Amino acid sequence: MKRTPEEKLLNPRPGSKIAAAQEFGIDLTLLVGQLRLTPEERLNELQSAMESLEDFAKQAKLARKKTENKWSKSKL
Amino acid sequence: MVKIEAVIKSLSGAEVDYVIVGGVALNAHSSGYITFDFDCCYSRSGPNLKRIIEALFSHNPRPRNFPDELPFVFDISTLRNGTNFTLETNIGKIDLLGEISGIGDYQAVLAHSEIVRLYGFDVKILSIEGLIKAKRAAGRTKDLLVLPELEALREALSDEEE
Repeated sequence: MKRTPEEKLLNPRPGSKIAAAQEFGIDLTLLVGQLRLTPEERLNELQSAMESLEDFAKQAKLARKKTENKWSKSKL
Repeated sequence: MVKIEAVIKSLSGAEVDYVIVGGVALNAHSSGYITFDFDCCYSRSGPNLKRIIEALFSHNPRPRNFPDELPFVFDISTLRNGTNFTLETNIGKIDLLGEISGIGDYQAVLAHSEIVRLYGFDVKILSIEGLIKAKRAAGRTKDLLVLPELEALREALSDEEE
């Protein structure tokens, strides 16, 4: 009997490309989660991830600036 | 950061002939790859170049890292004089690619595409097989790193047992 994409990803056959991806470090459970979404839902998730990462980068930059200011003041 | 929905609505709303390639196509196929720009391969026919101008003109496109003091005119002759354009716009970074390494020009890319429904439009995206070819041909580390995931997806979605 043919296995579904989800079954193939959750129980990869030894020597398969799926098993190779798992050994490479790909989290196959994440792929299963993505496959359950529509392409539009996947792009909406990508958009959210972009926004979160951009926000994180801004916060990190601010925190770095604050730390630098603190150090330069303490040297004075 | 690119606004994916806005880009698709602009291009598809103006009936531009394009195929989504790169990170956005990867994600549409279920990859977890994060990208911040929108790459597409476009037809270089005259009428299509006009449609691209119509679609993007109001979003103030300029080449990325182009000096602010220099004028840039986004018109047909500009598009005719180049092939690949990396643009900064009001809706984010958009790369217009006349050809894709490992595949070829728009017609070849179109032959490797599939249609998906996105934001009310039937949109063409590069197939998993096409993405594998393109990433292999590009050969940069960041391209090669996505191959195991793409090959796993291709195998999972294939009708044949692995």
